[in-house]
Amino acid sequence: MKRIKLKDVFITVLALVGAFGLSLLFQHIFDVKEHVTTVFIFAVFLVSLWTEGYLYGVLAAFLGTVAVNYAFTFPYYAFNFAIPMNLISGIIMIAIAILTSALTTKLKRHEAMKAESERERMRANLLRAVSHDLRTPLTTIYGSGTTLLENGDAMTEEQKRTIVKGIKEDAEWLTRMVENLLSITRIDSSQVKILKTPTVLEELLDSVMLKFKKRYPDQQVKIEMPEEMVIIAMDAILIEQVIVNLLENAVQHGKGMKNLSVRVFVRDNKAVFEIEDDGCGIDPKHMGTLFCGYYTSEDEIADSQKKNAGIGLSVCATIIKAHNGSIEAENLKSAGVVFRFTLDIEEMSDDTE
Amino acid sequence: MTQNKYKILLVEDEINIRNLVATVLETEGYQTVHASKCKTAKMLFASYMPDLVILDLGLPDADGMELLRHVRTDSLIPVIVLSARSNEADKVQALDAGANDYITKPFGSAELLARVRATLRNNRFSCAEGRLPGGRFTLRELEIDYDARLVYLEGKEIHLTQTEYNIVALLSENCGKMMTYAAIIKAIWGSGAGEGNIKKLQVNMANIRRKLGDKPGQSNYIVNELGVGYRLSE
Repeated sequence: MKRIKLKDVFITVLALVGAFGLSLLFQHIFDVKEHVTTVFIFAVFLVSLWTEGYLYGVLAAFLGTVAVNYAFTFPYYAFNFAIPMNLISGIIMIAIAILTSALTTKLKRHEAMKAESERERMRANLLRAVSHDLRTPLTTIYGSGTTLLENGDAMTEEQKRTIVKGIKEDAEWLTRMVENLLSITRIDSSQVKILKTPTVLEELLDSVMLKFKKRYPDQQVKIEMPEEMVIIAMDAILIEQVIVNLLENAVQHGKGMKNLSVRVFVRDNKAVFEIEDDGCGIDPKHMGTLFCGYYTSEDEIADSQKKNAGIGLSVCATIIKAHNGSIEAENLKSAGVVFRFTLDIEEMSDDTE
Repeated sequence: MTQNKYKILLVEDEINIRNLVATVLETEGYQTVHASKCKTAKMLFASYMPDLVILDLGLPDADGMELLRHVRTDSLIPVIVLSARSNEADKVQALDAGANDYITKPFGSAELLARVRATLRNNRFSCAEGRLPGGRFTLRELEIDYDARLVYLEGKEIHLTQTEYNIVALLSENCGKMMTYAAIIKAIWGSGAGEGNIKKLQVNMANIRRKLGDKPGQSNYIVNELGVGYRLSE
């Protein structure tokens, strides 16, 4: 932490030499020396602003005072600290250095705190949205269970089947929600870095499609990927979650969607994943907050199925961000929307563990 | 239901899940006996002599892994692990400790029964779909001639390298069972081969899948579980 940083030393030296040179220049060309103190004060200010901590600013102020005293005040090229003006400008420089450094340090700390509170806020938002959304399926499950227990005898087989089907569907929905939440805790728990393992693209897509087909057996998905074997370093469980979420999102929200496709290609040593549908697209006014996790809760959509979209997409964004990738959505001119995310294909050493 | 008199020891402390699993199994004609603790499970295992153990990993008095190791000290009775942990590392650990298969909670009854059937059958015939006396293995359109070391798909011979053949043969001998990366690597390249061989395995696997005509998302012969291993699916 307290190591001397080359960059800070460089800035300090540069600023002081610059100020010295500028002062000499002024003196030679215009034959004025009233600006000298101002020029040095400015240099000290810059040093305090651009370096870390107090050290360099105060050092620059001290050196500046000495330099001004030595070179630019009477008697020239000699020290004379008896003149009160020189002393005062020195004190002012040091004061400026301390104040500026204090201010920038405070600003930096504030920024870090802001980022932290932003994360906290996102988490709280997510939690609120989730617990709100959890109530709907729980109502179905709880209500159906008690109904079957208490009035089961009076119901027809058909009615019972309908109720049990409702329990099953809402339990499936809950499962998906919990999977998403687990994904987020998986990122949070390994705070340093997510654990990336070399993953064969084909195996990833195979696993994704098996999961997806279990939930939507009738939805066809077209898959395009490179002929050659592609290995990408990733947390495969998380990336699988991303693709499943995006596919599911298309099925649930892309009204009128017929064709759904997953396309993967390699460009500039990055793997680009595109999940494309030809449904109704996304309302442009939602584009900005698509990945924030709460856009749907502001909409008045009563259907609980619709509500987890925001959470699903924000989970996608969180996962991709943790992989240092990027994710975006784009409405297509023809119809529908394409979600695109990229992952770095890292050169992997043979030691895969 | 058909009379299958398999005895299943069910070790699970959650009473609702225990009831559910027991009901599902009993409607299929299996006999079940339950334990909610590691200690009782050990006793029942010795006295009841089950054909299969279904084991929950989170038990109140001990980790389910301990029971698994206890069972494996002197018995090859199949064990299916029930796990709420979706962490691949836990699955790999259980499989490498000798579990035959695992089911992640939540699961459906169809999935549970399929795994139970496959595991019991594997254990009885040592391979699914019947490994015929002539040293042949058949699964849908896939046929393996163990004596000639040849693999046929839809009647046509497909050309595999020695390593590829060894992998396919290994998976077929454990048909339906999830084989971890470590287990396959050890069987193919010897126990000295380290984890670093995963890439070699992945490359071989990609070639095999291509030769078998497997496409992502279709009912393929070889199913992979990300971060865990491969299984020749039934």
